[in-house]
Amino acid sequence: MLLQEAMDIQEKLKILSDAAKYDVACTSSGVARGGQKGCLGSTYASGICHSFASDGRCISLLKILFTNQCIHDCRYCINRRSNDVMRTSFTPEEVCTLTMEFYRRNYIEGLFLSSGIVHSPDYTMELICQTLRQLRGQHHFNGYIHVKAIPGASPELIEQAGFLADRMSVNLELPTAEGLRRLAPGKTREKILAPMRQIQKGIAGQNLRWLEAGGEVPRAAGFLSQQGRHEIGMANTVTHPGRNVWMPQSGRKSRNFVPAGQSTQMIVGATPENDYQMIRVAEALYQNYDLKRVFYSAFIRVNDDSMLPALPGGPPLLREHRLYQADWLLRYYGFRADELLDEKRPNFNVLLDPKCDWALRHLEQFPVEVNRADYATLLRVPGLGVKSARRILAARRKSALDFPDLKKLGVVLKRAVYFITCSGRTMYPIRMNENDITSQLIGEEHRRLWDIENHDSFRQMSLFDDYHVTASVRPEDLVSVVSGSL
Amino acid sequence: MTVFVCGEEPEDIWCAVYDAWMSRLGHQNVRIEPIGENREIFSSYREVVTEETKTVRVIRSIREKLSEALYEQVYKAALSQDRWRADKIYRFLIYAFAYGPSVLDQLQIPAVYDLFQMNRHLAREYNHMLGFTRFSRMQDGILLAKIGPKNDITVLLAPHFAERMPEENWIIYDENRRKAAVHRAGQGWVLLHADSAEWQQRMALDTDEVVFEKLWRTFHQSVGIEERCNPRCQMTMLPLRYRPYMTEF
Repeated sequence: MLLQEAMDIQEKLKILSDAAKYDVACTSSGVARGGQKGCLGSTYASGICHSFASDGRCISLLKILFTNQCIHDCRYCINRRSNDVMRTSFTPEEVCTLTMEFYRRNYIEGLFLSSGIVHSPDYTMELICQTLRQLRGQHHFNGYIHVKAIPGASPELIEQAGFLADRMSVNLELPTAEGLRRLAPGKTREKILAPMRQIQKGIAGQNLRWLEAGGEVPRAAGFLSQQGRHEIGMANTVTHPGRNVWMPQSGRKSRNFVPAGQSTQMIVGATPENDYQMIRVAEALYQNYDLKRVFYSAFIRVNDDSMLPALPGGPPLLREHRLYQADWLLRYYGFRADELLDEKRPNFNVLLDPKCDWALRHLEQFPVEVNRADYATLLRVPGLGVKSARRILAARRKSALDFPDLKKLGVVLKRAVYFITCSGRTMYPIRMNENDITSQLIGEEHRRLWDIENHDSFRQMSLFDDYHVTASVRPEDLVSVVSGSL
Repeated sequence: MTVFVCGEEPEDIWCAVYDAWMSRLGHQNVRIEPIGENREIFSSYREVVTEETKTVRVIRSIREKLSEALYEQVYKAALSQDRWRADKIYRFLIYAFAYGPSVLDQLQIPAVYDLFQMNRHLAREYNHMLGFTRFSRMQDGILLAKIGPKNDITVLLAPHFAERMPEENWIIYDENRRKAAVHRAGQGWVLLHADSAEWQQRMALDTDEVVFEKLWRTFHQSVGIEERCNPRCQMTMLPLRYRPYMTEF
């Protein structure tokens, strides 16, 4: 291992941003905080994208590792102990300078600080906390900070970081404990879930106190699930959120605990878990841990390791895309994981998005009358989203809507047309039949691929290449074809 | 047909709306046009004189008789890039005064949809520019951002950056309209017409920013994953027209 302490900041930035890029979370959303006199920065509830990298991903935060030295030997990770890569480390002052100067020039929306683990989790977490204290305290930085909770770090340090950061995340990495054991020998499920639970309790406890004090929970604060409430009732000895002893007070309002909530990340395609398992885990995390986001990261084979799958077709980007689509359905559209997939069909359809796929399997619920249906029903129609459904509700109060109006409201008619009626009429005659609609939705270009993969379910009728005839041709058939007689 | 000819600024548009409305010729007999359009033989033309009293009266009626939210929408539409925005706003206001503030939701009405479309275009560009604006330090320490937006959004961007960077001296300069928002540390910001020779000379000066621009380019390059390289997606998310003003391209 080559360790270089005295390297110029340019080189360090190159190495440590390159090492951090496999972490997918780069959102700056979830908290709206105005600017303050004497400080630099504010945050914007929906987040702001400041640039886009060559892979088309948004660059919102200065995403860096504090150091790429690590005591773990996770097989999928480029910074694992056994890899021979250049190792380096920022100093807290360097991170502060980069953040402040980039922020001033509007390059970034804030800082995303992660780290490899040096010496011990506590030592690393302390370094991160020190950096954040310096950034918030000395430099009066008021922008967005996303920080990683290091699994295995002491609760006190995680609590400290929670008061300084806006969002915290602990990466689940792999959806099952078995996969984690295989690929990340240094990590266990319990070690990862402990800080996650601690952060959840911290946020929920803070929200409860606000409610008791007669205030309203700010919109940005985490959603309080039944289980969350239940667990707060249980012995809560670890955190004491609300009393912020870590920030220099100096007459300023004390900071909230992780105001933008927490997120996590799962790697897609490194282990043999199927899509159903992935979204079940995501759903459980949303329900039991009040997570804001679960990110999915298509596995990229950076290490040549026999335990890792070979990916001749590149990273499983389509699968990642389908998982994100399903994730949105879980969070904003009122779907449950077991509605989208089940044990019998554990993976998403390659050719259809999960919502179309669901609708095609539930044609008995369609068509939906746009001028009468309630919001929840509208949300389940393919081609309609949160915005267009809301616009429909507002617009139909005064007069009935027709198809051209729907187009103006932002409905994707290409998909929605098979599932809706306006004042009792469809746009043109449609056969409510799974095969017909599927072939229309999939379109000409994908039809062949579809036939190959699902040759028993749906296919396009054709006069000539009827490849489902398995019986061999008899001499009588030949005669009848030639003579034209039956 | 009587045509009212007005200038580009929001004030000119309010005055044109006032003149057209108060002419009592009937809404279908009047039209508002920008300066420089071809003239028709059988229409009579009237130049709109911009006066503060007219502006104030129009704005006051919209705010008091309709709603603050509707005024915000109409104001933003007045900043749109659409050449016919004045007439579109006039047509919209006819419906708004007839149906009340909830008319904003009724996109079935063509006049309302026109306003909605202008505002959607403006809102998208505004959201892009919140992130894509790039400041660069000039030799005298002032942060300068040059932008070239299609819509006149400098006046909307300035409050955002004033809140975000209250302790900095900065200028946002719109190259297309030669307007500038100037902010002084610890104080407020003003919007200026920056078409004097002195301004042009100042804006042409190079900024002295080698260190951090280089660092930012390094970061921008190294953060992309080669295995996922997708220039098409990058171009959708960050259209080419923004790139000449951005440090990293």
